[in-house]
Amino acid sequence: METQTESVDLVGDEAAANLARAALFAALVGAFAYVSFPNPVSPAPVTLQVLGVFLAGIMLGPVWGGVSLVLYLVAGALGAPVFAGGGAGFGALVGSTAGYLWSYPLAAALIGAVVHRGPALRDLDDVGLPTLVGAMAAGTVLIYALGVVGLYYVIPEFTLAEAFLQGAVVFLPAEGIKVAAAVGIVRSEAVAAA
Amino acid sequence: MGELRLPLLMFAFVPGDSLAHRLDPRGKLLVQIAFAAAAYAHTTPRGLAVLSLLAVGCVRAAGGSVREVAWGYRWAAPFLLTAPLIAGATLGAPWFELDRAFRAGLASYRVLLILLVAGAYVRSTPVRDSRAAVQRTVPGKTGQFLGIGVGLVFRFLPLLRRDLVAAREGMRARGGGALPVRDRMRIVATAGLRRAFARADRLALALNARCLAWNPTLPRLCFRRRDLPVVALAAALLVAAVVPFLRA
Repeated sequence: METQTESVDLVGDEAAANLARAALFAALVGAFAYVSFPNPVSPAPVTLQVLGVFLAGIMLGPVWGGVSLVLYLVAGALGAPVFAGGGAGFGALVGSTAGYLWSYPLAAALIGAVVHRGPALRDLDDVGLPTLVGAMAAGTVLIYALGVVGLYYVIPEFTLAEAFLQGAVVFLPAEGIKVAAAVGIVRSEAVAAA
Repeated sequence: MGELRLPLLMFAFVPGDSLAHRLDPRGKLLVQIAFAAAAYAHTTPRGLAVLSLLAVGCVRAAGGSVREVAWGYRWAAPFLLTAPLIAGATLGAPWFELDRAFRAGLASYRVLLILLVAGAYVRSTPVRDSRAAVQRTVPGKTGQFLGIGVGLVFRFLPLLRRDLVAAREGMRARGGGALPVRDRMRIVATAGLRRAFARADRLALALNARCLAWNPTLPRLCFRRRDLPVVALAAALLVAAVVPFLRA
């Protein structure tokens, strides 16, 4: 029988709070993958996953927002059904969705860095609308750029234009709606009070 | 209406005592990585034929059927099926290049095979084992953090999904179904976010009160004799993946 003899290494209060928030946010992005809305401009329904990435950057900041999305990817790779359509497993990280998924932690960190202007969190009431929208626009560009490049590598027969057609044209218009929804959420009192 | 799609068959761990259920999770993770590398290096009819047999073998070893596991990945189908069509179509004569479509089809098919092997892992590995594999592989606090975090994601995902169902039903009951999509998204997401933060605060309190430790007791993992063929298989796949690059 193996016995551990070293002393117990306790987790500090602040680290525990950050860990809890990062893990809960990762689970929330996973739960968002199940919520789909009809897309007003294309037949492909939209899920709220990318909205979760936006909110992770805005609410948790560049460090913990990014960490939260890393947890999301690791949990998904190990079998938590958190990817689009309840998908799970390592395969999603090297298949057709690879580029999008790998971009999520980077996009959350980028959005957090733009909104909070550094690793420390600012009060969201002090963040102007242009900064908020600009941060999410930059995040969207990053997600789709990596997503399309991912497709280009997964199907080498694709030209970049074909990869863009397959991987971005259908979904991109819906991102504007998510940016608007995210602004509404950040500005609503309900979350500010939480 | 904000639809909450609950898959009829959630693709997740299925308890059992198949061969794959009894293997060390680290060996199984290694096979997945090696399989993906081999599939990318050998996207030829012959290479994929061999890998197909292997993928079916993995699914069978996990006690599943190819149909069941493939159904769990049906979300990938639209992309995998349209990719050859888009790659083959041209804006002008000859309108459709069969050769390009065929090669794109092979690339699509290899993604399907990688998903099947990943599915075999998901089907045969409980969360505890996966968590232990992460903590035993990634050193120090990073590994501990990832392990605890992954455990929490598994634990809270079903609760947060339920929260979102409740939020959507509440919105519908108040006549919110007629609102523009942007407002419906905002209402459902706000409710989800609020509940997630409330749960995170309670969880943090509980973690502090229970004196959360970075080094909890984990299930024991050890490579046994039956894991040897798995590691050998992963090594063979990795060699097969590297050989074409050495020749080039």
